[in-house]
Amino acid sequence: MKIRISILVVLVLSIAIVPIAGKVASNIEADSAANREYQVKAAFLYSFIKFVDWPAEDTVDVNQPIIIGVLGTDPFGNAFEPVKDTHVKGRKVNVERFKSLEDIKKDASQDVSLLRSQTDAIRKCHLLFICSSEKGHLSEIIESLKGASVLTISEMEDFVESRGMIELLMEEGKVRFEVNLSAAEKANLKIRSQLLRLAKKVVNENGSGPVSLGNGSRGAVLGMARN
Amino acid sequence: MVTTVIALLFAGVAFIVWEQNSTRRTMTQDLSIQAEMIAENCKAALSFNDANDAEELLKSLHVKSSIVFGGIYNKNGDMFASYHNDNCYESHPARLDQNGYDSQNNKLLTVFQPIILEGETVGTVCLQSDWKPLYVMLRHNTNIIMAVLLFAAVAAYFISSKLQKIISGPILNLANIAKNISEKKDYTTRAKKETNDEIGLLINAFNEMLEQIQQRESELVDSKKQLEVRVEERTADLKIANKQLQKEVEERKKAEANQAALLEEIKGINQELKSFAYVVSHDLKAPLRGISTLAEWIATDYADKLDDEGKEQLRLLLNRVERMHKLIDGILQYSRIGRVHEEKSSVNLNELVKDVIEMVVPPSHITITVENKLPTIVSEPTRIAQVFQNLLSNAIKYMDKPKGIIKIICSEENKFWKFGVVDNGLGIEEKHFERIFQIFQTLSSHGGTDSTGIGLTVVKKIVETYGGKIWVESKLGVGSTFYFTLPKHETKVTEDEKLQTNIVS
Repeated sequence: MKIRISILVVLVLSIAIVPIAGKVASNIEADSAANREYQVKAAFLYSFIKFVDWPAEDTVDVNQPIIIGVLGTDPFGNAFEPVKDTHVKGRKVNVERFKSLEDIKKDASQDVSLLRSQTDAIRKCHLLFICSSEKGHLSEIIESLKGASVLTISEMEDFVESRGMIELLMEEGKVRFEVNLSAAEKANLKIRSQLLRLAKKVVNENGSGPVSLGNGSRGAVLGMARN
Repeated sequence: MVTTVIALLFAGVAFIVWEQNSTRRTMTQDLSIQAEMIAENCKAALSFNDANDAEELLKSLHVKSSIVFGGIYNKNGDMFASYHNDNCYESHPARLDQNGYDSQNNKLLTVFQPIILEGETVGTVCLQSDWKPLYVMLRHNTNIIMAVLLFAAVAAYFISSKLQKIISGPILNLANIAKNISEKKDYTTRAKKETNDEIGLLINAFNEMLEQIQQRESELVDSKKQLEVRVEERTADLKIANKQLQKEVEERKKAEANQAALLEEIKGINQELKSFAYVVSHDLKAPLRGISTLAEWIATDYADKLDDEGKEQLRLLLNRVERMHKLIDGILQYSRIGRVHEEKSSVNLNELVKDVIEMVVPPSHITITVENKLPTIVSEPTRIAQVFQNLLSNAIKYMDKPKGIIKIICSEENKFWKFGVVDNGLGIEEKHFERIFQIFQTLSSHGGTDSTGIGLTVVKKIVETYGGKIWVESKLGVGSTFYFTLPKHETKVTEDEKLQTNIVS
């Protein structure tokens, strides 16, 4: 009788474990899928650097690293690991994480200079990934970056409509992006046509309004007469 | 013309080959450039994993119909995007592990181009095209070459036939004339000069040469005629001379025949004489012997019946018989000389003369000496002995002095030996010098010694048989010297014999 009971317990437990295991597995799966997505996005960030020209880039000392800033709740985790040692344009790439604007402000309330220094630090980034957590403060952030040549990238919806430069989005399991060319031009950034070609949508407020494109056809390149 | 065609053919072939190579290279270059361009333009697509964009890029390849395939591969070698021509029929590399290009495959030209972004190879582009352009070019060129060849051949033909008239024409003409002249031997023909160029010069030279030849020809003919005349003359001369020679030869033959006949006759006569002398003396001796024997018998048997006068007369008779005997002996001896030959040998005269002196038995009041060393000669010993014997016995016989001195001398002349027998005897009158050598001639001797009158004759005969001479020098009452010579070639002596005689003497 005792034996039968113990067997029953084991049986019940093992049955219970399956869904748990399944959930854990799917969680892991979900996690690894998410991980993969952000690994791709991280690689994209690096790749963007290759196809964007910052002003006075030729005169910059090669020893100066390129800075990718992540502002807000970092969704990348360790997604930067595979590419963290890559050199782009012969320079090292550093990833700097910044707290969310709220937190910065909170900190700054005690110390005004903190806001200043953080802002400066953020402006020093070459590329700034604005996490979705900052949705509410977007225009503020964009405003604070005026005059600085920072390439703004985000996953937020309608980022490029909100004067963000590159918006990352998922389409059929693939990472795609949209570009706001005029925003980049305002920041003195030159985006190469090869890159633009690949964009799902290029928004250009100069000339004939926002131009929406098909799947990266070369016709898009011809449309962008000015650069 | 053949030369032209061949040259053009070679040039054409070389051109085609070169063009082929050049075109291959050009096509490879073109394709490589295109691959580079595509590589350049798909960097972003690869970086952002946008296969659609890459494929759109590749679609632009359709512009060049010869491009059969275009592929972009990621850094792992897996195909990322591709493009196929309608006529695609080959399999393409699904994986990549090559570099550069492959232009030797006869079906497809394949080009690989690495895609390098920021010093890192992010993928590879592979383009493949067929060789249609090459074949087109080849056909095109071949056609052109053939056309050019044809045209050139025709042109060459016309030009060469035109040139022939100008250049080869006169030369062939000249050759013809030369051939004619050689065949017909007519050196009066001349070539006609038409132009004033090098051909003209040639013709001039040719004509000059013919002039010379003609001249030589006539000279030759003349000298030939002269030669013939001379040959005739000489032949005539030779014929005459030949005839004369023949005559002489005949006469000589006749003379020789005569001579031979005469010789035979003489030989015969000589032989007859010899045998006659021999026979006669033998026949004469026989009765003499008889007479002598009889006289002796009478002397002994009838000695008591004879008186002194009778005995004296018998004695005289016997003497006369004896004398007659000696005479016959002498004749016999004389006849033997020249008939009987003995072996010639090396004779040491010193020894021989010594023997002769002993044989002669000189009386005590006469001394015979040999004054000089006598040579050794090659001769018939007996005959030489006879010579010395006769001369010595004569000297003894005609010695009138109480102390008789006889010397034998010898001297060497150039070609002969001169011997001499010197005595201090009676001497001889000059008028008898010749006579004494004649047969049966005697001079009155001292003491009435009988002489056969043969001795000197024999000596003379012997000496003259050997080729020598004999003569006498004498003064009446003082003495005489009989000289005789013997030629040296008779007296050849070998080295050994000379040495022997030297040692001995």
